[in-house]
Amino acid sequence: MTQAPKSISASTPKSGENSWLWLLKLVTGPFIIIFMLVHFIVNHAIASSGLLNYSDILTYYTIWVVPVMEIIFLGLVVSHSLLGLRSIIIDLHPSRGVLAVISWLFLIIGVSAFVYGTWLITVIVSLRVTL
Amino acid sequence: MNLNRNQPSPGKLLQWFNPLGRKLSFSGFTLNRVSALGLTLYLYLHLIVLSLLAQGPNAYDNFLKLIHNPWFMFGEWLVVAAGLIHGLNGLRIALTSLGIVVPQQKQMFVFLMVIAVIGSLIFAIRMYTTF
Repeated sequence: MTQAPKSISASTPKSGENSWLWLLKLVTGPFIIIFMLVHFIVNHAIASSGLLNYSDILTYYTIWVVPVMEIIFLGLVVSHSLLGLRSIIIDLHPSRGVLAVISWLFLIIGVSAFVYGTWLITVIVSLRVTL
Repeated sequence: MNLNRNQPSPGKLLQWFNPLGRKLSFSGFTLNRVSALGLTLYLYLHLIVLSLLAQGPNAYDNFLKLIHNPWFMFGEWLVVAAGLIHGLNGLRIALTSLGIVVPQQKQMFVFLMVIAVIGSLIFAIRMYTTF
C-alpha cells in the first residue's frame, strides 16, 4: 500500500516538535500582529519625537486597558519567539539530549522574561499613580 | 521530490541566504527565518533596556537622548519592517497550515509583501519626519 505524498505546501509540525506547541506557535501569531501594530503605531507613528519618553509612557499607561494588553502581548510574543527559535534549532537536527537541554533553557528564559516584564509593567503602573 | 529542501543542515546554513535558483516559496522561508532571528534578538534587548524605566525619568530620557540619531532610527525602522514582513508572511503560513488558500499562496505572498513594503514606507516617512 502506497503512502499518500506528504504535502510540502503547508507548514506542519516537524519531527521532534510537539503538535500542541506547534499549534500554540501558530495561534499566537495572528494575535501578536494585532498587538504589534498597536505597539508600533503608538511608539513610532503617534509619539511626537519618534519614541515615547518617560512621561509619555506613564501617561499612556493611565489608559486602564494598556497594562492588561501589554502583559498579554508580552506572554504571546515571548512564547512565540522561543517556540519559533526552538523550531529553527530542530531544523538543524540536534540530538535528543541537546534538544531537551535547549527546551528547558528556553522554558526558564521564557518564564523569567514574562515574570520580569510583568514586574516592570506593575512598576510603571505604580509610577503612573504618582504622576 | 526533495522533501528536505526546507530543512538545512548546519553545514548548509548559508544556503538560506542564497537566492540563486530558488523558488518564491524559498524566499518566504528565508524571510521568515531571518526576520524571526532579528526580532527575537531585538525583543530581549528591548526588555533589558526597558529596565531603565524602573530607574526613573533621568535614566530613561538620557538613554533616549543617547540613541537620538539617524542610525538608531534606521535600526528602529528595520524592527518595524521586520515585524510587518514576519507578521504578514506568518499569516500566510498560518492560513496554509490550516489548509486555507494553499493553491494561491504564491499570489498571497506577493500581495502581503507589497502591503509590508507600503506599511514600512509609511512608518519610515512618519519616523523620519518627526525625528
